Amino acid sequence: MMRQLTAAPGFGWVLAIAAAAAVGLALITGTGTPVAVGTGALRDGMFGTPYAIGNALNAAAVLALVAVGFTIAHRAGLVNVGGEGQIAAGGIAATLVGVALPDAWPPAAGVPLTLAAGFVGGAVWALGPAVLRSLRDTSEVITTLLMNFVGAGLVALCVHEESLLRQPITSAATLPQSAPLAPSARLPLLGPPEAQATAAILVAAAAVLVALVVTRWTVTGTQLVAVGRSVPAARRLGLPVARLQVAALCTAGGLAGIAGATLVATVPFVLKEGFTAGFGFAGLVVGLLAGRSIAAVAAIALAFGFLASGGINLQIAAGVPASSVQIVQSVLIIVVAGAAILRERGTS
Amino acid sequence: MSALPELIDGGVRLAVPLLLASSGELVSERAGVLNLSVEGMMLTGAFAGAVGAAQTGDPVVGVACALVASGLVAVLQGLLSVTLLADQIVTGIAVNALALGLTTYGARLYFTSGRDVGGFDEIALPGLSRIPVLGPALFEQSALAFAGLLLAGCLAVLFSRRTGIGLALTAIGEDAVSADRAGLPVRLVRFGAVLLTGVMAGLAGAQLALADIHAFTDNITAGAGYLAVVAVIAGQWRPWPTALACGFFGIAQALQFAAPTLGVEVPSALLIMLPYLLALAAVSGFARAGRSPSALTVPFVREARA
Repeated sequence: MMRQLTAAPGFGWVLAIAAAAAVGLALITGTGTPVAVGTGALRDGMFGTPYAIGNALNAAAVLALVAVGFTIAHRAGLVNVGGEGQIAAGGIAATLVGVALPDAWPPAAGVPLTLAAGFVGGAVWALGPAVLRSLRDTSEVITTLLMNFVGAGLVALCVHEESLLRQPITSAATLPQSAPLAPSARLPLLGPPEAQATAAILVAAAAVLVALVVTRWTVTGTQLVAVGRSVPAARRLGLPVARLQVAALCTAGGLAGIAGATLVATVPFVLKEGFTAGFGFAGLVVGLLAGRSIAAVAAIALAFGFLASGGINLQIAAGVPASSVQIVQSVLIIVVAGAAILRERGTS
Repeated sequence: MSALPELIDGGVRLAVPLLLASSGELVSERAGVLNLSVEGMMLTGAFAGAVGAAQTGDPVVGVACALVASGLVAVLQGLLSVTLLADQIVTGIAVNALALGLTTYGARLYFTSGRDVGGFDEIALPGLSRIPVLGPALFEQSALAFAGLLLAGCLAVLFSRRTGIGLALTAIGEDAVSADRAGLPVRLVRFGAVLLTGVMAGLAGAQLALADIHAFTDNITAGAGYLAVVAVIAGQWRPWPTALACGFFGIAQALQFAAPTLGVEVPSALLIMLPYLLALAAVSGFARAGRSPSALTVPFVREARA
């Protein structure tokens, strides 16, 4: 029996959304902001301007990439908590390539190379926990979690050391960040320039489609689920369990790494501390809520992208702390996880 | 202060909150409940402790606030993992995110204009604190730290494998269904163990905010709760090795402050990573060799008896 992490019945979802909405309203009023002003700011931040929509779609793309990876690993019975660190590693690898690319190259050559570097960076970051899990049975939850802290430290190290990725120090005001990525490495814009929507959206859509096909209609997809359901049974079937587990977790890391690459390859085109901006955790929440369904990942990532964009405006226009979005997200996941028992009671 | 005593002093200072938090988590894990939410409980305790102390000017009130607040987080975690049988890892991480969000939100509202957080002063135990090098590091602590460490020691003795209650704890953590058949109150003990984790993590948070830093900053724990959980794993679910692991993590954290005086020229970012690298080495090196409680993270459901 595969562990059901958060499978909640429809009723649980209604409960979760109601609770999250109530908490959200309480957080708005808690700052003394009138509800109408708060919800207005949230709505403007979601749909008010082309920039708001573009921003929301970009965020949704990052979330979808992380969450698709989480779901692939989850289907193989692994819980990847390391999105934050894998985004960081992918961003570092993409920056290494991106600053070295010649300006004259066409983006059609430079951008895929930068994204591929991101994939490799993220996959390498997940390799250690994956190997430890398959060979020594070390909990991937703990190891991927710890790797997040190491990843954040590595970003700090890279942007503080001139011998690594820090831009040349010309004055005391030189910021601790990388040199800007070459124009050939920057993601092209989609649609009107004022929207600032980037090709990351296409990359995420492609990842969703490929993952959908692989998990539903290929042998690999079936093998992953077999490993996820029961490792001993998968072994008796002669499946290469260790290889599948390592591949699944590294794919998860690689997709988060691509997400990191898209973050450094959009405005302001630099690597700096804190660029992962909690996307690793939010992507994990999207993956958990989607409950192993790739289609649900796409839908929930889109909703969360708009929520994130709205949350930024909530802080700017209504003075409600941005951490409110994180609170609402965690209430959602707590209620959905807590309500999972209702389904088991209902069917037994 | 010369370099080595400074390193030991800093290491002990940073190890004390880890030790307090891991002493509660050790009991809970032996009963079969993994609380990744130790991080969130510590953070909540630190926030509530700072608010209580700033509001009343009395650090003891701060500690009381910390215990109530972290206890509430523990009630939430207990409801989820013991009563509702929800996944302990998922809910633990979610509770941490909730605590981080709420305390950051609260700090925006409350700690707007430099509020003064009163705290505990260090007390030097007469005689013992005169021991060269180790004396000041070990025997000059806040009253809160002494009380907390005493409590942690009592827990270790009370729940050791030589007492009845300690054996019951082991039975529940190894095989909850058999323990239940033998008449042990599985859910009650597990819920109690989660609450105990909350209390000890609350003390750890209060120690951090009231005795150590005398302020609250966003995400003040910054992963210390996870280190406390790893210390329990690395310590093989035994008190002394767990305390030793906390000491190692404390020293590793202190290196980033002591490195300049030690004359070590290493980028500080590298030293910030050190405790987590050490933690990674600890879990990957020990997890196989040791035996975790068999029922760890497995929710208890009473089977229908035929």
